[in-house]
Amino acid sequence: MSMQTFMMWMLMLCTPAVWASDAAFVIRDTELMERPYRDARVLESLPARSKVAVLQRLSGWTEVQVGKQRGWVKMLSLQLEPGAAGRRADNGLRTLFNVAQTGHGSASITTGIRGLSEEQLRNLHPDPQALQRARQYAASREDAARFAADGGLKASKVDYLQGGKK
Amino acid sequence: MRRWFLMVVLAQALPVVAFDLGGFDLEKAARAVQKVQKANADVSEPQEIELGGGIASGLLGAAPLLDNPPLQRYLNRVGRWIALQTERPDIPWQFGVLDDSDINAFAAPGGYVFVTKGLMARINSEAELAGVLAHEISHVLRKHHLQAIKKNTRSELLAALADDVIKSQGGDPRLNKLVSAGTELYARGLDKDDEYEADRMGVVLAARAGYDPYGLPAVLQTLESINPNDSSLALMFKTHPSFTLRLALLQGEMSPALDMYDGQPDLSKRFSAVLGGGR
Repeated sequence: MSMQTFMMWMLMLCTPAVWASDAAFVIRDTELMERPYRDARVLESLPARSKVAVLQRLSGWTEVQVGKQRGWVKMLSLQLEPGAAGRRADNGLRTLFNVAQTGHGSASITTGIRGLSEEQLRNLHPDPQALQRARQYAASREDAARFAADGGLKASKVDYLQGGKK
Repeated sequence: MRRWFLMVVLAQALPVVAFDLGGFDLEKAARAVQKVQKANADVSEPQEIELGGGIASGLLGAAPLLDNPPLQRYLNRVGRWIALQTERPDIPWQFGVLDDSDINAFAAPGGYVFVTKGLMARINSEAELAGVLAHEISHVLRKHHLQAIKKNTRSELLAALADDVIKSQGGDPRLNKLVSAGTELYARGLDKDDEYEADRMGVVLAARAGYDPYGLPAVLQTLESINPNDSSLALMFKTHPSFTLRLALLQGEMSPALDMYDGQPDLSKRFSAVLGGGR
């Protein structure tokens, strides 16, 4: 096992414990439900800006801890405290990708390669050969369908949302 | 005098062919009108793809593809599967992870979609990735970049594109101008409404493809909590409406319309396996 792989596993193993300490607050008056369903039993009403600890997300619902109480709130009623994502999204990949650790506390520094800055996008040196090389990874219809079936994904008809107020 | 007047009237009744009336060149005017009509006409699909290819080459010149073939193949499969659920399933969709630490994603006309490794490193599941790709795919479906390029370039350039006189192989300066107008957009950003529309369509496309539709909002929520002074988000902040506003709009749109897709998988294990084992 390479050092890199070892580090990755260590980080992955540590992740759930670290997740449990993710701080968040509710952005509007929100009901804490016993289960992640619309018609589940309401445990408690949380006023806007109540602080919670994030445990896990299940689609549109997030399990949180408030004091000694555990329950579910709508995911979009939550906002993570600044810096929380520094831990939340660290699945070990940042070490693997050599991407700087950011979002911890107030001092956040990005190191590594400076990339797609505004300046660079205005002074391009196109690389058509790179685009040709990228082509080899393209997926055919059949390939994509097989991949979806392997993952248990089932396509369904869903209408676009209309989008009312801005 | 009368005869002269009659001649003028007759002359005007003739078809408009190179008639010089007091220095006003009718033929030239007619050509100009034609050009404007062409510029307003839709750019054909092959031309859109050619222009997008030029823009994609530009992006790859700024940030190379990440050297991780299994990850690149994986990204293309997720992306193509989503694209198959759309109104443009068979344009040559091409996805790629860019070797760049900034957090961003890009779409170019004709089906080119790129995600930076900086963004990949903050994604937790295949459904989250699907949400990001579906947002970018929506820009391509609605031709947001193409419309913005149209709005911002001289009509002769687009008329030339619509005339199909531009050949990219020869490095035609007119195509280069359109390509640089297209890439400059990434530094300036699209209209906010285009971004909101891509969010709204993105969550639906993820649901259509069988994923948990809350992947895109989950990514936006993660990014929302990153320190706004973080330089890896500088370009994203400059070119997109705030995450908080985007999340608030999605909150109003997604429930209850998409509640019934709540139980769809997020495939976080497959995602971790590919990202962890890709080296």
